[in-house]
Amino acid sequence: MIADSKKIFKQGIFSDNPIYRQVLGICSALAVTNLLANTLFMCFGVIFTTAFSNLTVSLLRKHIPQRIRMIVQVLIIASYVMMVDITINAMAPDIHRFIGPYVGLIITNCIIMGRAEAFASQNKPIPSFLDGIACGLGYSMVLIAIAIVREISGFGTLLGYALPATDLWWHQWTIMVMPPGAFFMLAIVTWIARAKFEPKE
Amino acid sequence: MNKKSAAYIIGFMIVICVVFGTGVSVVHNATQDMLEKNKRFHRNRIICQAFLLRVSDESAKAYAQAISEHIELKAITDGNRIRNVYRRIDPENPAIGFDFGGMGFWDRIDGIIVFTQNLEKIINIQFFDHKETPGLGARIEEKWFTDQFKGVAIAWNKDASDRVIIGRATGTKPDNQVDAITGATQTSMALKRFLNAELERIRALKLD
Repeated sequence: MIADSKKIFKQGIFSDNPIYRQVLGICSALAVTNLLANTLFMCFGVIFTTAFSNLTVSLLRKHIPQRIRMIVQVLIIASYVMMVDITINAMAPDIHRFIGPYVGLIITNCIIMGRAEAFASQNKPIPSFLDGIACGLGYSMVLIAIAIVREISGFGTLLGYALPATDLWWHQWTIMVMPPGAFFMLAIVTWIARAKFEPKE
Repeated sequence: MNKKSAAYIIGFMIVICVVFGTGVSVVHNATQDMLEKNKRFHRNRIICQAFLLRVSDESAKAYAQAISEHIELKAITDGNRIRNVYRRIDPENPAIGFDFGGMGFWDRIDGIIVFTQNLEKIINIQFFDHKETPGLGARIEEKWFTDQFKGVAIAWNKDASDRVIIGRATGTKPDNQVDAITGATQTSMALKRFLNAELERIRALKLD
């Protein structure tokens, strides 16, 4: 059992990062990263869902019948995702209009199901909760990095605010607003991260 | 208790469903007012955009005020449904708008269509709600797509399914044609189908 929270965070964020190491959650990573505000809401949704679904699965791990554990996990995850979806819809309806379909898809995000099954169902609640936060942060870190580059190069803004003197240095890079821009950015981030963090033989 | 027994499994699932179902319901009820407010704001904003109304700022109050000052709303019976009819209160620049909707590729699409007073030309078209594929069919609400409808003449003399054409038309580009969305052929076809059906129903409405 992994009890050391430092190790949990190091693994979730760097060495076992869900995006560039496990290549999970790619659909939303490509879809919501053209604006940083959208990305931040998506990251909030994933961190919340991963942390609390891990916590719940861990709390119930000794009571969940083995044969139906996957169904129970999906039900728990879906409930948290619905809570997140309703909350974003109430607090930021314009952002929800854009990322709404992807928030719903958090239910099928392999990061969450993967952590619930691989970690939370075998570990105590606190480490499981921390593992959920760490994996959510690992996912968020990559998405935020991609979103910053895409929003600046595609729109010349950051969080919707125009950057200074854009007429002097900025030229719209349209592909960055479009899905191929996310593919290129994700590939570059994966390349850099794997070169830097992958253990050498 | 034996965790493998059917009674335990069923009981466990019932408890889990009740607990989490209640949790979701609590969150939904707690945000009900905000959701309703957001829905009203979104609807007012779409109506203002459809009628090309100038709004003093981006607040919900400004949109509501613009509608109360410039738009007259009337709900009329259309078969077995109630249809909202909007009139712009401007003698020099009259316009009439209608709620319209139908089945898209995945689910229902609802919007508003605004015409010149004699229903000869479309002034604008906007969408309240849809569930089309993000990045593909969902592009129906993008400005480049809706802008194409501005000034489109409705070919009332043509077949009921071709009064407004979305997609390829035979011959040179007619006045009643707009481009479909690349990669969203089904959504474009569905929109064409229900838009033309709605035009027929709108023309048959008894407006006083």
